[in-house]
This record gives sequence, C-alpha cells and structure tokens, in this order.
Amino acid sequence: MKDFLRQNGILLLVIALLLSVLIGIVSTVLGGRADPLSDLVNTVTTPVKGGISAAADWLESVYAYVFHYGEIEDELAELRAQVGKLQEEVRQGEEAIRENEQLRELLEFQTRRRELTTEPAKVIARSTSNWESTLTLSKGTSAGVEAGDCVITEMGVLVGVVSEVGLNWSTVSTVINTDTEMGGIVMRTYSAGVLEGDFALMNQGKLKMNYLPEEAQLVSGDEVLTSGRGEVFPSGLVVGRVEGVFTDPSGQTRYAVVEPAVTLDSLIEVFVIKDFEIIE
Amino acid sequence: MTRRDFIHKWFIYALGLVPIWLLDACILPRYPLWGSVPMLLPLAAAAVSVLEGAYSGAGFGLAVGLLWELAYPGGFGGLVFYMALAGMVMGAVSQYALNQSFLGCLICAAGALGLLELLRMARILLIHGADLSQLLQVAVPELLWSLIWSPLVWLLFRAIHSHVGGTKLA
Repeated sequence: MKDFLRQNGILLLVIALLLSVLIGIVSTVLGGRADPLSDLVNTVTTPVKGGISAAADWLESVYAYVFHYGEIEDELAELRAQVGKLQEEVRQGEEAIRENEQLRELLEFQTRRRELTTEPAKVIARSTSNWESTLTLSKGTSAGVEAGDCVITEMGVLVGVVSEVGLNWSTVSTVINTDTEMGGIVMRTYSAGVLEGDFALMNQGKLKMNYLPEEAQLVSGDEVLTSGRGEVFPSGLVVGRVEGVFTDPSGQTRYAVVEPAVTLDSLIEVFVIKDFEIIE
Repeated sequence: MTRRDFIHKWFIYALGLVPIWLLDACILPRYPLWGSVPMLLPLAAAAVSVLEGAYSGAGFGLAVGLLWELAYPGGFGGLVFYMALAGMVMGAVSQYALNQSFLGCLICAAGALGLLELLRMARILLIHGADLSQLLQVAVPELLWSLIWSPLVWLLFRAIHSHVGGTKLA
C-alpha cells in the first residue's frame, strides 16, 4: 500500500487541485444555485441534519421546561399582558385603516396592498464558521425557493436573504452577515441609509446602517425597516432598532449600529418570501 | 494488505469522521462559546495524518476537504487542495520531525488551523479591506476553541488506528 501511495501521493495532490478548480469554476458559474455535487451531498444529508436539529430543539425545550419553568411562567404572564395591549392597538388600527381607505377613495388613490407569497421552512443548521452568519433551511428549489428571496419570521421580522439553493435545502445569509447590503429606513424620521454587515459587529450580533443623511436625528431605540428601494426586497420588513449613532474614523460620515429584531440563535421556523406585491 | 483490507480500513476511518462532522455541522454551531464556533474537520485530518503518514494523510485530507466544500455552505473549492496538501505535510512532519503522539497531532493541527486562519484573513483583507484587529478577534478565539477539541478527536482516531491502522489488517 505504501508503494502505491508513494507513487500516487503527488497524483492525489493533482486530483485535489483539479477538484478545487472544478468546484470553484462551477460555483462561480452557477451563482446562487448550488453545484450538482454540493446539491447531491446536501440533499442526502438534509434529512439527517433536520432530524438532529429536531432532536436538539426538543431537548432544549425539555431543559427549559425543567430548569426554567419559573421564567416561562413569568414570560407567559408578560405575554398575556402584551396581548391585551396589542388587542386594543389592533382595534384602533382597524379604525384607522377604515378611515384611511375612505380618504384614499375620496382622493382616488390606488388601494394600498401588501401581498407576500411565503413558504414555511425549518432551520436545520446554523453557521459552522465564525467568518459568516448563515442558516440552512429545509426547503429548496423543489418548494419554489430561489436565491435572492427574503426570509422573515412569523412576525414579519427580516432574517436574511437566500444566498444558495439546492433541491431540498437552502442557505440564508443573515442580516448581520458581512455580505448583507440593502436599503433601510428609520421609521420615526424617514431617514434612509444602507444596511450593511460588518466583521466587528457580526460577532456581537449587530449590523451597520451607513450613508445616513447629515440632518438625520436618530436616537437609540428608533425602529429600522427595509426601504424596498430597487424592488429587490419588500419594503416595510422590520430589521431592528438603532442602538447608537457614531462617526466613522475619517470623521466624514455617520453610521448607526442596529440591533436586529430577530434572535438568530433561537430560530426554529421561518418563512421564505417567494413573491411579493406592495402598492404604497 | 489486500484491496478488501484497504477498503475496510478506510471505511472505518470514514465512519469515525461521521460523528466529528455531525458535531461540527449540527451540534456545536448551536452553542457558540463567546460567539465562537470550533472547526473540527482540520483536527480530524491532522489526527489521521499523524497516525497514518504523509500519503495516507493527503488522501484523507482530500476527503475531508471535499466534505467541507460540499456539505457546508459557501464553498469555493480551495479547501480540497489545502486539506490534501496539509494532510501530506502534517503526515511528513510527524514522520520525520515529530512523533506519532498527541503532542505531534496538536502541533500539526495548530499549524494547519493557523495557516488556514491566515489565508482567510488575507482573503478578507484583500476583498473587504477589514481592520486587522477585527479579523484577529475572530481568528484567535476560533483557533484556540478548535484546539481545545483536539484531545477528543485524537482519542477517537487513535482508537480506530489501534484496531485497523497502519498495516494491522495485512
């Protein structure tokens, strides 16, 4: 065997080099679509990952029930109080919507519509590298998921964007990942900026909002939404809240640090927006 | 060693890689320590290279690199060649300069991981122009947290080696 390997040692390196080049070329050419070999491996391993993820979720819930029962009870009481408050706000909101519709009809404005076609998916794996923040979902091209689709929680909070897709799986680049770049708007002041991932902030679970207008008076706690500029991502998705506003080292521009509304570590189910139509 | 023995031996090594992969891909990313997740696959390549030598190390490194590129998100191909080369170098270093012990494995793993971190940092510096101190804040904890797992990986592959390693099946 040693002779065989001695003779074939360099050959192994040549094979490895060719495989590296092949994978590199294929993944570059296919863009957001997974290369056939990756797709095959991930299609086979997705059920295994899904099973392990489900088992781990169940064990975590049992652990929380046994060791954090008091906290769960407190959270339930707090949530009940919140539900009561929200129900009152919904009643007021419905009244405002009716009034808004009447005014739009009077002014002959187009009816405001917001239609999202979503696909539910389970989170089956999380980032395996500290250099990126990704999630692996249990749905892929067989469910109509495409690269570039937005991913949200059941509350409409932005999770990220599908970056790679295979037959029954997809990879989501989360809002804090360094390749994130999308238009954002601060709800209170209507100040627009660009939401971007940052290496230093990614490990703290935060992102940056760059290119803020000079006159923007942001305060901690301001809500940040997607602006929908470019019509690639839907507008009005909740991204997070402003934690603070800083001046960059050059002293030329200001940026805000945004704390995402989504808790990435505890996500179990998400919704992929396959199609959307928004008329403001 | 017959072809059947050869296949049997590497099948057992591949089976040993399964729990490492599951731990690395599915379990540990759920529980990051101070925001850092360890990399176990280079440790597996280091352990097998130290135990089996340069050329077997290159073959196992190639397989680990393929697994890393194909089963993990964001692959660009480079890890296949890097892991095969690292496997060959680690095997040669352990054969001629170090010895087939845990310490040898730890030094080889630290070298392979350290170089990988340096390459990643260089790539990010070139592409994103990020601050070096920020990159070090990611790379150093990742390297240390990964090395902490090396005894477990070494023990697993040491156990496999004691049953099927070298030319025991011959």
